[in-house]
Amino acid sequence: MAKVLEGPGMGLMKKWGIHVPNYVVVTSVDELTKLGQANDWMKTSKLVAKAHEALGSRFKLGLVKVGLDLNGAIAATKEMIGRQVGSITVSQVIVSEMVPHKEEYYCAVKSTREGSEVLVANCGGIEVESNWDRVKRLCLEVGQSPSPAQLEKLSKDAGFAGPLAKKMADFAGKMFTCFDSEDAQYLEVNPVVTRESDGELVALDAVTLLDGDAKFRHPDWNFQFAAEFGRSYSKDEMEVMAVDSKIKGSVKFIEIPGGDTAMLPAGGGASVYYSDAVVARGGKLANYAEYSGDPPDWAVEVLTEKVCSLPGIKNIIVGGAIANFTDVKKTFGGIINGFRKAKGDGKLKGVKIWVRRGGPREKEGLDAMRALKDEGFDINVFDRNTPLTDIVDKALQK
Amino acid sequence: MSILANKDTRVVIQGGAAGVNAARRMAEFCYLIKRPLTVEAFVYPPDAGKTNEVPYGSGLIAIPIYKTIAEATKNHPAINTSLVYIGADRAMKGGMEALDDPNIKVVSMITEGVPEKDAKLLGAHARKLGKVFNGPSSIGIISAGACRLGVIGGAFDNLVLSKLYREGSFGVITKSGGLSNEIIWICSQFADGITTAIGIGGDAYPGTDYVSYLEMFENDPQTKAVVIVGEMGGDLEERAAEWYGAKKRRVKLIGVVSGFCQESLPKGMKFGHAGAKEGMKGEGSARSKSDALKKSGAIVPATFGALGPAIKETYQELLKSGQVKEPVEPAVLPRLPKSVEEAMKADEVMVAPLIRTTISDDRGDEPCYVGYPASELINKGYEIPHVIGLLWDKRLISRQEAEIIKRIMMLSADHGPCVSGAYATILAACAGIGLSQAVAAGLIMIGPRFGGAVTDAGRWFKYAVDNKMNVDEFLVYMKKNVGPVPGIGHRVKSLRNPDKRVKELVGYVKSLNIKTPCLDFALAVEQVTAVKKDNLILNVDGTMAAVLVDMGFPVDSLNGFFILSRTIGLIGHWVDQKRQDSRLIRLFDYLVNYAAPKRREVPPLK
Repeated sequence: MAKVLEGPGMGLMKKWGIHVPNYVVVTSVDELTKLGQANDWMKTSKLVAKAHEALGSRFKLGLVKVGLDLNGAIAATKEMIGRQVGSITVSQVIVSEMVPHKEEYYCAVKSTREGSEVLVANCGGIEVESNWDRVKRLCLEVGQSPSPAQLEKLSKDAGFAGPLAKKMADFAGKMFTCFDSEDAQYLEVNPVVTRESDGELVALDAVTLLDGDAKFRHPDWNFQFAAEFGRSYSKDEMEVMAVDSKIKGSVKFIEIPGGDTAMLPAGGGASVYYSDAVVARGGKLANYAEYSGDPPDWAVEVLTEKVCSLPGIKNIIVGGAIANFTDVKKTFGGIINGFRKAKGDGKLKGVKIWVRRGGPREKEGLDAMRALKDEGFDINVFDRNTPLTDIVDKALQK
Repeated sequence: MSILANKDTRVVIQGGAAGVNAARRMAEFCYLIKRPLTVEAFVYPPDAGKTNEVPYGSGLIAIPIYKTIAEATKNHPAINTSLVYIGADRAMKGGMEALDDPNIKVVSMITEGVPEKDAKLLGAHARKLGKVFNGPSSIGIISAGACRLGVIGGAFDNLVLSKLYREGSFGVITKSGGLSNEIIWICSQFADGITTAIGIGGDAYPGTDYVSYLEMFENDPQTKAVVIVGEMGGDLEERAAEWYGAKKRRVKLIGVVSGFCQESLPKGMKFGHAGAKEGMKGEGSARSKSDALKKSGAIVPATFGALGPAIKETYQELLKSGQVKEPVEPAVLPRLPKSVEEAMKADEVMVAPLIRTTISDDRGDEPCYVGYPASELINKGYEIPHVIGLLWDKRLISRQEAEIIKRIMMLSADHGPCVSGAYATILAACAGIGLSQAVAAGLIMIGPRFGGAVTDAGRWFKYAVDNKMNVDEFLVYMKKNVGPVPGIGHRVKSLRNPDKRVKELVGYVKSLNIKTPCLDFALAVEQVTAVKKDNLILNVDGTMAAVLVDMGFPVDSLNGFFILSRTIGLIGHWVDQKRQDSRLIRLFDYLVNYAAPKRREVPPLK
């Protein structure tokens, strides 16, 4: 699942014939000033300026300004660019034309197990959220496209009448085509409005989630995916991502500020059970991490160094199930190197390490971990006979 | 009994290296349960027509590789299952090809990162055809004592520890590959083991869900209980709960779900597998899944750790009610033959070495010459002559000796294009022959008449000195037993036209005030022979030989100094010709003395 910011999201909709307001994405006041001279609509329309970042509640933060003229937009841009919100620095502003309208509607396409659903409502904005029963849906099997008749029925069921019913059906059809052709997982336009100047339906705001795994067949996806949790990625997170993109297997790392229990488990399945165990024991996670698919030892070493660098940690959980094909000795070799480096850099003081693992070459790997005791590490090593998450219980025992 | 994978399963693997690795793991399992290898063919267009070698016991089985599934099933009509190990961008095409083959009933896809739409299309296509599409991102399927599809079950030792050589009573369905193995192990320790374990993959929309497999388990009399290991995201666990609660089921259902940590994490923070994502309105959360399972009557341990005891309790009930009997373990199990390397590590075999070396070892992070790491030699100022000293005479020579060797090499590096060696290399270069072969052609010329007299000269001068012969005795001995004295005589040089190289080398060595008994003897020999004939002078081979023997180099190594030095020249000649793009050389007729009989009639064959 990969989130796409408004600008590129609207770009994809425009590509498939959906009307969107004129907009520009700028990184500086200069750029906006030049664009203002080049584009008539910026001089004649009322404008909206929004911080173009993966931030929630932009309105509350004062990062959305409406009803501006060009000078107002330039002033708003000047104010927004460079503003620090948590870990995010605003580096882009999207300036779009305001579309005068009376009514607001809703249209979305979402992925389902069977295929997809097209959702339409004849109310929009915040109204639709409190009137979810007014959303009508059309379920489609994968590989099936909605017929014009199906769409018109959907539109009429949702309460659209007359020529608008046809227009909404047409709009939903284009949304589906965009969803299907762009390997989207979720497309939402809220609100859809009728443009007073020509009576066309226009998408005023877009939420776009694409299937990152399909990037290989979309050479025109020249935009970056946005972090999905309301902050940008940290330097260490990005370094691990860079490693992850280069290797066979995978390494993953997300920081959770304020925690004291560091995670270094193996496997996408087991890692979540380990996290659950920490939370269930009343512990505070300092991060999420995972390595899987028999990654090279150097990649696990990089991950280990990042985990050891987390501030204020008391325990490190090196957990894992019984691996199918991940070489325990090799991957533990990477972890051991990472531990040694961290210790050499003066880290890991007073930190307890807890290990549990099974799989190919488990004996050699666990023996190598045990040997770290002699190097002065505070390490406790368990094999497959200790149930998966018992090391968390032991670590967090008061 | 088991589901999906059984005694009749015959497999084609679509893919390259990862597929071959899976076949190896599958062969280990086949060997453990003493059935012939289940993998009958590979489909991998780049290697079509070749075979992949798969170890089975202590032997190797050659498995043919085909271009298409159709070719594979035509040649191996028993194949009914395909495993897909193709990259994400081509996985759908490969999966469809397998599903469309009339012989294939089950397709399991290991590929990770397959686009959701592709996975849905594959799943829908399989359902339409009444076939099973398992995965993507599936670790595989294993039926204890019957059949293994993929690497599920892990290493051979783990197969044995998890008692996968015989059937148990528990079915397993997991999204996670690593946890499938963990549950198989738990079932073998807390109960009698598994019937079939299936990894359905951790993607958002796996091709086949829990319910389809639960139905199959329900219809498999051997399976008495099913363990499902769920994750937050999607609604597969809710559907499984719905199925279980809908009516009285024969199988018991035990389920755990992960993702409770999500409740106390920043919103939107995504963990684990691609499918592990909470819906927008709380549906798909670990809690909703866990609650749904509980409500359906399934056994839901509070934590993963409590799963073992819960399985044990279920097993005890099954024993008590007589639904299962304690399993009988086989007395002897096949042991996987170790590789020679593994067996040696375990001190189980001794192997007589094939060769023995006393000079060099590069098993560490860099080569060691007679124990000295190459980088340390470099950093401490040693040079090429020292490496020669180490590798040819196993000793660190002195600075002075190194200087002498350096001079010898510089003086013998080349002797123009006309001599046999250089000419042979040039001839080869002009015929378009590559560097190593052309240089070898030049080196082949080195022998008794060209450059190869160093060793022999050294041998006989040393013989004379060792036996305290005087020059006359030596010459008599040589005339009687050997022939012309090696190292004496030159084709063009003479006393009046001396060889500058010899003068240079002798002058330098003599200036060092070191003991040079062989060189002194060789010079004394020259005094006598040159009087007899003008060109019977000490040549460069003889000089080098005497000096090197005086330094203590083994006689057998002496030609090496000439070969090594001259190789520098030969490489030079090859590069020179190559750069000039020289044309093929052919001898002119006038350079040949045609002394063969004149043209005549061939007599009839008798």
